[in-house]
Amino acid sequence: MIHIGKNTRSTIVSKGIAAGRSDNTYRGLVRVLAGAEGARNYSQCDSLLIGDKCGAHTVPYIESRTPFSTLEHEATTARISDDQLFLCRQRGLSSEEAVALIVNGFCKEVLQNLPMEFAVEAQKLVGISLEGSVG
Amino acid sequence: MSNGLVIKDLRVSIGDKEILKGINLTVETGVVHAIMGPNGSGKSTLAHVISGRPGYEVTGGSISFDGHDVLDLEPEERAALGLFLAFQYPVEIPGVTNVNFLKTAVNSLRKARGEKDLDPMAFLKLLREKAKTLDLPEDMLKRQLNVGFSGGEKKRNEMLQMAVLAPKLAILDETDSGLDIDAIRIVAAGVNAQRAPDRSFLVITHYQRLLDYIVPDVVHVLAHGRIVETGDADLARRLEKTGYAEYTTAA
Repeated sequence: MIHIGKNTRSTIVSKGIAAGRSDNTYRGLVRVLAGAEGARNYSQCDSLLIGDKCGAHTVPYIESRTPFSTLEHEATTARISDDQLFLCRQRGLSSEEAVALIVNGFCKEVLQNLPMEFAVEAQKLVGISLEGSVG
Repeated sequence: MSNGLVIKDLRVSIGDKEILKGINLTVETGVVHAIMGPNGSGKSTLAHVISGRPGYEVTGGSISFDGHDVLDLEPEERAALGLFLAFQYPVEIPGVTNVNFLKTAVNSLRKARGEKDLDPMAFLKLLREKAKTLDLPEDMLKRQLNVGFSGGEKKRNEMLQMAVLAPKLAILDETDSGLDIDAIRIVAAGVNAQRAPDRSFLVITHYQRLLDYIVPDVVHVLAHGRIVETGDADLARRLEKTGYAEYTTAA
């Protein structure tokens, strides 16, 4: 994200999911050029872990050439808990359905901003790529 | 077959510690049983083992429900048989709305029973109806599951799930804990409205107060992993006066 003009605003929302033995890293540069007074950026990085052998890393880069800018960064990491899984399964969901439901809830903020057709695809894709990740 | 829940000589351990030391319990269809007992007597363990929560080791005995051997089944298969657990501490699922969660649950159960998905409009109508009887505001249905709910709202939401999923046996694991008197009344009214000849309840509680509103047919006292006394609703009233001292010292 590069801010060139005065009073420009931007938001970055990143949702990363790591399952099995995978690691997920967010690296993002926000650069504010000298003339971009009053620029504002908000970055939010949320990570979801499935299982206990995966990891999440967040590396935000911030370069500001003007003292008159506001740059915020926030990061969270959460794990799908056994309690959440059990709650879903007690209500009748299979463990795969449960994971898909929880993961879709996690990504919702991003998915709901996608065009309809793509959002549906993305939701299915999340379901497929997580098949067999709990067991 | 519908002969309800039959537990025979159930022994359960967590690690090296034996929590349940031979439980025998039969909950017939259409009957309300209450289990009372001091802290650490194994009440919640019993509720969890019946519903299949991982982390417990069953070292002996059996649990059957309507003729099915429950211990061999996954939690979701038990749910499909009509077992429901109202949680003592309902967990949050961020980003998943109450409506979405319940719709997914209803349709999963229907799929497991070989039925078609419920029409979304019919589902919403059912949901609104049930929410109204529990005095839940409609906006709660659109909120994320248990996220930012007060203690009372969480428990009422559990009752809503029970009402919508219409189980054959509902286990209420200390549903009254952390509730004020009005909320207890609402929860009890929710249960009473659902008492039916084809539905049984297992109400786990510390206090007799809940049983003033949900009058049980049978009351059991659980202490040190065993059922030490069984009686009718009067037993609960007597316990309110005498406490659990006679059971905790005897063992």
